[in-house]
Amino acid sequence: MEPLFLFSLASRHAQWASVRQAAISGNIANANTPGFKAADVEPFTAVLDKTHLSMNLTSARHMDVANAGAPTTKVSKAEGWDVNHSGNTVSLEQEMLKADEVNRAFSLNTNVVRSFQRMMLASVKT
Amino acid sequence: MSVLTIDPLRAASGIAAAGLEAQSTRLRIAAENVANARSTGNTPGADPYARKTVQFSAELDRALGASTVRIKSLGRDRAPFQTEYDPGNPAADASGQVKMPNVNTLLEMADMREAGRSYEANLQMIKQARSMVAMTIDLLRS
Repeated sequence: MEPLFLFSLASRHAQWASVRQAAISGNIANANTPGFKAADVEPFTAVLDKTHLSMNLTSARHMDVANAGAPTTKVSKAEGWDVNHSGNTVSLEQEMLKADEVNRAFSLNTNVVRSFQRMMLASVKT
Repeated sequence: MSVLTIDPLRAASGIAAAGLEAQSTRLRIAAENVANARSTGNTPGADPYARKTVQFSAELDRALGASTVRIKSLGRDRAPFQTEYDPGNPAADASGQVKMPNVNTLLEMADMREAGRSYEANLQMIKQARSMVAMTIDLLRS
């Protein structure tokens, strides 16, 4: 396994965690909006499975498939813990739990990247 | 919310900031209602202070590329006014009845509590987004 693979994977995971944090933020901001449906980002493994190789453009006449290799993170309507009278499905407790989960995943991610970089530096220095 | 055009972490802070603003407006309106819980009219038979209401709505912020929240409208509660017998009041009508505001202080207090709770939740999101940015920056010094 080449080392650069891990860095690109880690950066995509960080991107995914950031998008999820933004989605949770949107849910919490709309915790009192009538009829608002809570949204969530699909799990990282699903995002990872969906991505495919992008095609190279070697000629001016090749068509550029827009964002063929870009990570796709979609916000899907999730099943919330509770629904109130106005049809709002945001549960603050659930969102806090999710936010904490994201924070933990992000922390793990950055720490893995750091230790991996330290390993690489160590091998370079010897 | 399909593709975020800017850094999602900054978007997260921006969305939470919009939430903070909406909740603080709600808190302000609740305070206005409580402050005016006994504000009657000035002329005989005049309508007193009518309770204000806040309505939120989700809105797509194009600059942020994400859905935020905003105050859609400030309305007036159309609930009927209670009347009190107080002939000395300048707002008393011919039979000595004064219309009192339709503000229920207990309800306003509950509303304030809920607004405070949502405000805290938004604040927590800003803190977490900030700590995530800090973690990323900390990668530089290892």
